[in-house]
Amino acid sequence: MSNRIGVYICHCGTNIAKKVDCAAVARFAGGLRDVVVARDYQFMCSDPGQDLIINDIRNLGLSRVVVASCSPRLHEKTFQKALARAGLNPYLLQHTCIREHCSWVTEDPGEATAKARMLVAAAVDRVDRHGELFSREVDVLPDVMVVGAGIAGIQAALDIAKSGHRVHLVEKGPSIGGHMAQFDKTFPTLDCAACISTPKMVAVAQEPNIHLMTCAEVVEVSGFVGNYQARVRLNPRYVDTEKCTGCGTCLEKCPTKVSSEFEEGLGTRKAIYRNSPQAVPNTPVIDPLHCKKITKNKCGACEKFCPTGAIDYHQVERFVDLEVGSIVLATGYDTLDPTPLTEYGFGRYPEVYTALQFERLNNATGPTQGRIVMKDGRSPESVAVIHCVGSRDKNYHEYCSRTCCMYALKYDHLLKDKVGHHVRVTNFYIDMRCFGKGYEEFYERVQQEGVTFIRGRPAEVTDRAIRPEEEGKLVVVAEDTLSGLPVRVPVDMVILCTAMEARQGASEVARVFGVAQGQDGFFLEEHPKLGPVSTATDGVFLAGTCQGPKDIPDAVAHASGGAAQALALAARGRVAISPTTSWINPEICVGCRVCVGLCAYSAIEFDERRKVAVVNEAMCKGCGSCAGYCPSGAAQIKHFNEPQVFAELEGLLMDLERPGAVRVPVEDGDQGPLPDEHPARESVTN
Amino acid sequence: MDAQATQADAGRRRDAQTAPSVAFEPTIVAFVCNWCTYTAADLAGTSRMIQKPNLRLVRMMCTGMVDPKYVIKALLSGADAVLISGCHPGDCHYINGNYKARRRVKLLKEILPQFGVDTRRVRLTWVGASEGNEFAATVNSLVEEIRELGPIETRGLKAL
Amino acid sequence: MTTTAKLDVQDNNPVAALQELMRRMLERGGVGGVLTPVHLGRGTPMPTLVTDPAELALADPLAPAFPMNGAKMLARLTKGHSGERIAAVMRPCEIRAFIELAKLNQGSLDNVLLISVDCLGAYDNTHYLRFKGADDAIQTTLGFLGKVGGGKDTARDGYDLAGACLVCEHPVAAAADVSVGLVGLDLTAALPVMAETAKGEALLAALELEDWQPREDRAEALARLVERRTQERDAMIERTAEATGTLAGLAEYLAGCVNCLNCRVACPVCYCRECVFATDVFDHKPWQYMGWARQKGMLKMPTDTVFYHLTRMAHMSTACVGCGQCSNACPNDVPVMELFRTVATRTQKGFDYEPGRSMDDPPPLSVFKEKEFEDVVSHMA
Repeated sequence: MSNRIGVYICHCGTNIAKKVDCAAVARFAGGLRDVVVARDYQFMCSDPGQDLIINDIRNLGLSRVVVASCSPRLHEKTFQKALARAGLNPYLLQHTCIREHCSWVTEDPGEATAKARMLVAAAVDRVDRHGELFSREVDVLPDVMVVGAGIAGIQAALDIAKSGHRVHLVEKGPSIGGHMAQFDKTFPTLDCAACISTPKMVAVAQEPNIHLMTCAEVVEVSGFVGNYQARVRLNPRYVDTEKCTGCGTCLEKCPTKVSSEFEEGLGTRKAIYRNSPQAVPNTPVIDPLHCKKITKNKCGACEKFCPTGAIDYHQVERFVDLEVGSIVLATGYDTLDPTPLTEYGFGRYPEVYTALQFERLNNATGPTQGRIVMKDGRSPESVAVIHCVGSRDKNYHEYCSRTCCMYALKYDHLLKDKVGHHVRVTNFYIDMRCFGKGYEEFYERVQQEGVTFIRGRPAEVTDRAIRPEEEGKLVVVAEDTLSGLPVRVPVDMVILCTAMEARQGASEVARVFGVAQGQDGFFLEEHPKLGPVSTATDGVFLAGTCQGPKDIPDAVAHASGGAAQALALAARGRVAISPTTSWINPEICVGCRVCVGLCAYSAIEFDERRKVAVVNEAMCKGCGSCAGYCPSGAAQIKHFNEPQVFAELEGLLMDLERPGAVRVPVEDGDQGPLPDEHPARESVTN
Repeated sequence: MDAQATQADAGRRRDAQTAPSVAFEPTIVAFVCNWCTYTAADLAGTSRMIQKPNLRLVRMMCTGMVDPKYVIKALLSGADAVLISGCHPGDCHYINGNYKARRRVKLLKEILPQFGVDTRRVRLTWVGASEGNEFAATVNSLVEEIRELGPIETRGLKAL
Repeated sequence: MTTTAKLDVQDNNPVAALQELMRRMLERGGVGGVLTPVHLGRGTPMPTLVTDPAELALADPLAPAFPMNGAKMLARLTKGHSGERIAAVMRPCEIRAFIELAKLNQGSLDNVLLISVDCLGAYDNTHYLRFKGADDAIQTTLGFLGKVGGGKDTARDGYDLAGACLVCEHPVAAAADVSVGLVGLDLTAALPVMAETAKGEALLAALELEDWQPREDRAEALARLVERRTQERDAMIERTAEATGTLAGLAEYLAGCVNCLNCRVACPVCYCRECVFATDVFDHKPWQYMGWARQKGMLKMPTDTVFYHLTRMAHMSTACVGCGQCSNACPNDVPVMELFRTVATRTQKGFDYEPGRSMDDPPPLSVFKEKEFEDVVSHMA
């Protein structure tokens, strides 16, 4: 049975009607195959306009509707709903744009009218091939998983927990807090990092809705939005967290000293250790690579002295399976290892420090109890701070790490404040980027404290003195690009503002969670402006620096955004799954699996039994990468399938003349070269 | 060919002779992605950037769903050129659909010139959602270029 | 370092020598079956899966007949597990096509040994039958081979090799496990059997053939053969390109096409279960035909023939191994092979892709990179 199509041409006041002869287009449409009614009206999107459609559907038994008006990006939904109100499936609409793409941009009214006619013809041909489609709703599991418990993960977990939803917080390390726990002061307010982060860490530990897992890694994720299954590996801590009271006796008794990661190699820890007395959880962890009991079955001091018998050398890894509705990734960043930048002498000269090392030098719980001293115990008289180490550098990272200018200013201030005003501090910078709230003011303040700023990336740091005042010092050699003069600055200490970079294991994390990485290695957000916390995988959100370099306020704000997205899903408890997904016809599919490899969303699985590819509609975004390849046409995007596109093309090109004919601009929209009453014309229908 | 021209055609040709510069108006089919170039086309419209009327847009969700068959069909049906336009590299709404489109266009650009189809008749561009002016300029320069190239051979081919 | 073994030729009969090689594979090579052409009657030899060594008497991988590309048959034998390993003694274009099919998961290399025999070309079906006449099939092959492998391509008793073979620059399959050399060698003495992979190495060891260090005649003769065929190929491409340099030329070239889709059925790398042109997407309505006819005043029937061939070029030209079965299958003698090889040369060069070379080369449209082919992107504004 042939379709009964209604066509509606909108004047949009004069927006369309001024250029397009809407009545003529409607008359033309009325002559097209299967069109039973074609009307033009002032404002189709208005209530009376929509009623026009609804009444025609009811009274004339329309089975398809074409609306030609503004861009479908504006009102396609409006008209789809109108169809639904009249009892017609919303996908039986084709909305074509004769305003933005036609009346507003075409000079000549005749040309505009002719173009509108072709667009309408294409829409009529296309809609004839439309089919009913139904959105599916699936339940969203109420729990959320947050991966990584730095400040971003903590913030996200707390936000979600506050709403009453349960959070599984998975942290790879033995305690939470991330990089922020290593910092001393924070810019620009100079409040102490521990003072603001410790309460949050404690809140995590005390929050009944947060299920905290440390020494834990997510090894496998399956499922789709609202219904993720995750497997978490709990690595052995060798200390029973239930029995341990955190008294710290084991830390005193352990005889094995190891260089401390938390102290960035500046201090030592024991083979059983915790990062700081404020660590959450407070339970120590045994480093199995260095513990003498575990490696050589000797010692056993911690077990001997533990008052509660919490030490357990025989712990093995365990797995926990979680079911969550959404996932927030807050896996953080690494700092660049400056060793390969040999010109700066890191690792060669003891007084060259990374930024994180300098944070530890400042920290009251750090290796020097917060005194800024050199390895020989003296205070530095002069310090150079080199910005952009590995950032804004084509050889390492092209991007700006966004935090270095500000923490460099913080170091400038702390040096002046802690060591004394006489300390000569010299910054080597490319550009000062102080864009945050209170940041420019802080820059101003530090400048007034008598800090020197030299614009130029240093060529090298050397201990070869060529002048008497350089003897026994490190000399920073650079060009002051503002004066164009070479400079040599002798200093006692050099601080390298090392770049923030994507975690070393980021590609593995990306694989497990099905998110993409940008060229810089950070996780790719769904949209750089309008989707900075969502990812291409529905229900997986980003928080903090795993998405790109951020300072603390930005990371926290980003994390709250990620939490809000996860909560939006959890709060409604249902998620609609768009029906315009791919469908692979199992009768046609030959099982070559190319589409499986092309799918950016891992939404296509191979059914080994039937030897065909199968689309998981919940994960499919309907991009059509599969359909664009599939030579047999087995893979088709619903609402953008081959018959529909071919039909649209044929309608679009129906006016192409016979050979030898030429077309001239039409003065009168009514009298164009197009056959208004084409008795039978091409278009694909069932 | 003259013998086949209808009266109306003959009439038009007379017009054309008086104004030979408008003798040939190319018809161009554009497959554009919903998220970038279609949005740019909307923006060009909202900004009232005047464009030649020769371009006919087909909205796709992503350039990655543009089957080479669609391009071939459009050209065989008499479109003088086909434009495929999507998001800039790295901006694809579907992560990497535009890269897949690029390979398919590469393939078409190897096949079609074999049969005398000028490579300029199959165009791939990246026009981002905010680049309304780029879109309008792309349309206008493409129309001019194809106008100079002349009509595609398929228009005159009866047995195809 | 490839191991080479010596396959002795008795009674001036290299076909019998290859039968012996296949017998050893079945008896001590851990091979459950051999897929190879066997003379089954008076017609052309057909790909046959032989499990009983006694059935090898009429096996003839060297027959100058090529009724079908066996790659699809081998794909059927390897898609899924039979539990047994088989060997395929085939032409290089069959092995190359099979590699392409395996990349598309239409077959598997897991339980198969690919034995490539230097290809001296074949006649098309009618010419082979006329060439053979009422003679004994094996004797016919020996007559075709002569004393030295690959001496000449054409005009044996007035018969030319098939067009595809004359322009084939791949007399050897790069991806085979074992190669058997013929080109430039004295076929009445002994044939080199060369292991090309670890799998091939293991097979050779099991066959208990004598190790051998043959003279280097083959490499030089192969180079000459490849050069000759490459020249032929280039001349053929030039002729075809000239004939199809316009769409009108292409339409004329394909004028005899009746849309039977035989070429795609015969094509070893056209792997779709059903061609999209046979699906309802191309089921047009009567009034559509009328509309198209009205546009130009007439409509050639069947429609979509040029569309079909252009689409097939987009789908499989990068995988085209040039076996020529498309031309063989065409009921109206459309020179399909020439057209597809001409286009394939362009597309394969464009993607720097050689079909059948290695499992490590992914089909061009199955992969992509962030930075590539930036020259196909226009910057118009």
